[in-house]
Amino acid sequence: MKELSRRDLMIRGTGLGMGLVGVMLSVPAIGFLLSPLFTKQRTAWVTVGVIDDIPVNTPTPLVAQVPVGTGYPTPPVPRVVYVVKKPSGETLALSNICTHMQCDVHWDPALGNFLCPCHGGLYDIDGKNVGGPPPQPLAQWNKRFHSDAQGRTVLEIENVLDESI
Amino acid sequence: MSSWLTRPITTRLRAGMEWFDDRTGATELLHKGLYEAVPKKGGWAYALGSATLALILLQLFTGIFLLLDYVPSVNEAYNSLDYLRSSDAFGAWVRGLHLWGSYTLIFVIGLHMLRTFLSASYKRPRELNWVSGAVLFFLVLGLAITGAMLPWDQAAYWTSVVVTNIPHYIPFIGDGIRKLLRGGDFVGPITLTRTFAIHVWVLPFLMFSLIGAHLYLLRRHGEFGAWVNYDTDPGEDEEKQIGERIRHAEPPYPAKRIGRRYAAPRETVPFFPNQLFKDVALSTVLVAVIFVMGLISGAPLDGPSNPATLSYVPTPEWFFLPLDQFLVVAPTNPLIAIAIFGVIGLGAALMVLLPFIDRSPERRPLRRPEVIIPALFMAFTVIFFAVLGINRLYNL
Repeated sequence: MKELSRRDLMIRGTGLGMGLVGVMLSVPAIGFLLSPLFTKQRTAWVTVGVIDDIPVNTPTPLVAQVPVGTGYPTPPVPRVVYVVKKPSGETLALSNICTHMQCDVHWDPALGNFLCPCHGGLYDIDGKNVGGPPPQPLAQWNKRFHSDAQGRTVLEIENVLDESI
Repeated sequence: MSSWLTRPITTRLRAGMEWFDDRTGATELLHKGLYEAVPKKGGWAYALGSATLALILLQLFTGIFLLLDYVPSVNEAYNSLDYLRSSDAFGAWVRGLHLWGSYTLIFVIGLHMLRTFLSASYKRPRELNWVSGAVLFFLVLGLAITGAMLPWDQAAYWTSVVVTNIPHYIPFIGDGIRKLLRGGDFVGPITLTRTFAIHVWVLPFLMFSLIGAHLYLLRRHGEFGAWVNYDTDPGEDEEKQIGERIRHAEPPYPAKRIGRRYAAPRETVPFFPNQLFKDVALSTVLVAVIFVMGLISGAPLDGPSNPATLSYVPTPEWFFLPLDQFLVVAPTNPLIAIAIFGVIGLGAALMVLLPFIDRSPERRPLRRPEVIIPALFMAFTVIFFAVLGINRLYNL
């Protein structure tokens, strides 16, 4: 075996030291950078409002105060839930987040469609994508109903939140 | 009493300057900086490069000042800038300077690239000047888009939503990239802190490192000169003429003859005052425009971010309008998304790697149709999408 010279030892030691510093600094830093990848989702029910007075076939925006769902605690933000009562008696709770780029869509009575102002996406009254770039129908919130003290029907939606693991 | 004190003041000053120069080499450095030989022709076109640098420094300067007030938090960002608008006229002016500085910078860096492209200054041995410059161009665009997200007003919020959602269409890794940009599945507080860190530290750090490399390479190789500078007198031996020119050229032009493309320009002048005057003149005009626009037009601030809007129409900044229009027409099928990201990535790669594609010594634009025609096609596409986008926004 070749004898290790003083010079070689210093060269290897320098390389080893720099490599160790690199590893010691990159493990926590990269872990910190990638931490959003290691979250799981949990859900929580959020009250939207009374839906008794909503007419049939008229998409009606109700505003729910929804937790942001990501990051350190911040106050809840408003989110629009479009309530659509079908003649069949079914009630839809449509998300107004466009499936193309996540802008807020709104019901345009003149068009008879949900319209996304960002890139012109169109959805029909059931939330089905019928024009423009959206690849999917509007999401439907998981929903449940309960009666309040006055006997009115209250809509609740199941909101999705990130949770660190 | 020391004789130093009894000597006349001018003698003492001179002695002091000599002492300083001995220890720093300041005079030599100043001389190197000021008396570099630059091509006599094309001086106004070269001023675009120094104007780009001046505007980047202006952005650094105004950006640091904005940090006196701005708070990168979803609860405070809007309020801090609203306070600036309503209660601090000079602060609002500085914010106006930062916005109009960014608009002007994007415009001027585009012209600087166009000039470099037309005069084929990216050819050997200046390939890496172009590569570093092209990457700098993308860094400036990155600074522009992250900057647009920081005020956390309606425009900023919806810009954040759309921009961070774009990677979602990349198959397999897209959702992961969106999570990393947003700090989770949803746009929230971490989206703003991450964007802030990228805008204020990551991109500027990369940018100033690359500017250092870009300027070092510029000084190493010198300006190429307009292509006309390389024409020779008919009737005289071309080889001999170019040889003569190299002999008389000052550094940084090569002292050794390595063929026509390495030759020095026909005529050179010292950087100071010839080129410096043009540099300062152009930058002064640009800063004056920003100074006035920052005051009279300022920087807009919409209402506070509202994720439950039914009437707000998000519109992109003008320089991202072609890309936004591209989102309208691009199909969202995953396979097509691969193709589209591939095409855009390839376009960006071709742009950065241009010097390794166009390697002939020919510099006249009309004799380089193989790069001029694709570039015209790209420019036409961008303008076409911009016109489509303007048309769409007007018809909303």
